[in-house]
Amino acid sequence: MNSRRDFLKHFSAAAFAAGLLPSGLTWALPQGQGIEFPGEEGLILRSYRFIDLETPVEYFNTWLTPVPHFFVRNHMHEPSELDATDPQAKEWRLSIGGEVEKPLTLSLGELSKIETHSVVNTLECAGNGRSLHRPQVPGIQWGKGAVGTARFSGARLRDLLQRAGVKPSGKHVMFRGLDEVPGKVPPFVRSIPIEKALDADTLVATRMNGSPLTKHHGFPARALVPGWIGAASCKWLTEIKVLDAEFVGNFMSPGYRLPNQPVKPGDAVKPEDTHPVTALSVKSVISGPIDDAQVKSGRLAVHGVAWGGEADIAKVEISTDGGATWNLAKLGHEQARYAWRLWSFDWKATKPGDYEIMSRATDTLGRTQPATAVWNPSGYLYNAVDQVRVHVA
Amino acid sequence: MSPNLLQKLRRHLAIVGVLVIAFVLPMGSRTQKSGAPNVTADLPAGPMQAKATTACLECHEARIILQQRLSKASWTKEVDKMTKWGAVVDPADRDALIDYLSSNFSPDKPAQEAQRTSSGKSGK
Repeated sequence: MNSRRDFLKHFSAAAFAAGLLPSGLTWALPQGQGIEFPGEEGLILRSYRFIDLETPVEYFNTWLTPVPHFFVRNHMHEPSELDATDPQAKEWRLSIGGEVEKPLTLSLGELSKIETHSVVNTLECAGNGRSLHRPQVPGIQWGKGAVGTARFSGARLRDLLQRAGVKPSGKHVMFRGLDEVPGKVPPFVRSIPIEKALDADTLVATRMNGSPLTKHHGFPARALVPGWIGAASCKWLTEIKVLDAEFVGNFMSPGYRLPNQPVKPGDAVKPEDTHPVTALSVKSVISGPIDDAQVKSGRLAVHGVAWGGEADIAKVEISTDGGATWNLAKLGHEQARYAWRLWSFDWKATKPGDYEIMSRATDTLGRTQPATAVWNPSGYLYNAVDQVRVHVA
Repeated sequence: MSPNLLQKLRRHLAIVGVLVIAFVLPMGSRTQKSGAPNVTADLPAGPMQAKATTACLECHEARIILQQRLSKASWTKEVDKMTKWGAVVDPADRDALIDYLSSNFSPDKPAQEAQRTSSGKSGK
């Protein structure tokens, strides 16, 4: 620092970075400019700290969601000691222990020598659509975009578990990430049953759409539990522990559980009358035209995405008259077991007026999106028939 | 300002600078994990604003509260859960905090307008 002027310049930058400025000034950003978030473009800011970013539905026009447009859901602070600019992640280790014959610890270099497998997976936050439940429930008020599809690559979890040798007593597999927990908040630790852990498509992923994971998506390694809620796919993975029972902790119970039977708002739900949320529901989202769009009369493509967790999409139906009549949409040719399908419907919007456009997916398990989603106290798995209003002029 | 005084001032500022780098920046990186400028929001004005800020925003930012639309019964559950998780709430302030949250963020209020992110590059 050579001069006072330089110093003050540095000081104000430091103060700004450190959040020392009076709070009124924190809004002194140019009008119309988004909140700067390196690597994350045009996402809906649900929370800055912790980071929770939602993809606007109009981005759901490609089978694979580009990483800068992929939603981010963090429960805690991202690990400060992990330096995503060091692709070797020299300090990072992954341990595999618990109910195993030979506990082991791997560096990123050792992990990347294990045979790589790729899975195109639609990852959806269990709370996607929470803001649409009535009455409202607490939690991040996601609209329709806490979902995305990417090609995840890495070692099969099964291969790591086989190296360690799972004992017959091993029934569940716990993941611990490096997230930093504030206050007395319980750590974000969850487990999955051994059957899902040994599935050939369950990964310890190190890459997303062909590139190393970014920090927001779990660098250097994350679990990838395909077809299941995003919370199963622990980010910044550092410990895999084989257990003889489901992990006991806040994010297994009462967190991420659904009542076995539908309940009414305000009803007390006993823990024994609930089960963990695992596989995703059947669901479709209209990505265009967007809600409240004004369009010119003529032919118009109604388009979007549809997914069913561990099930495939059998059909997507579109209504342009508020649900009175339904027509089949054409499904896109790109498909993979756990990935969504693009769909499109050629709508002849010849008569001016206001229209209610709806989409309704059915999967190969025979599940169809309901008119109204099943309300539950935490607002999980919202999957009602999607709808947008369109004005044709 | 005499050259001597200017020199002294520079030395003092340099010391302050070192202190800022040594203490303020690490503190900042603890509270602002992404390292970006402070773009977190504020809680609404009211008699409990300062206490709510201390109790809640130590761990997460205001937007997480601003987007909720909950009944008083739900806010009561949230406040008690967060107190268990380390939010510092004087028992004498509990009811006033619940009133502040449930009157500002009740189900009848319109949904929060969310902002968008920009990657900081030359546009989309």
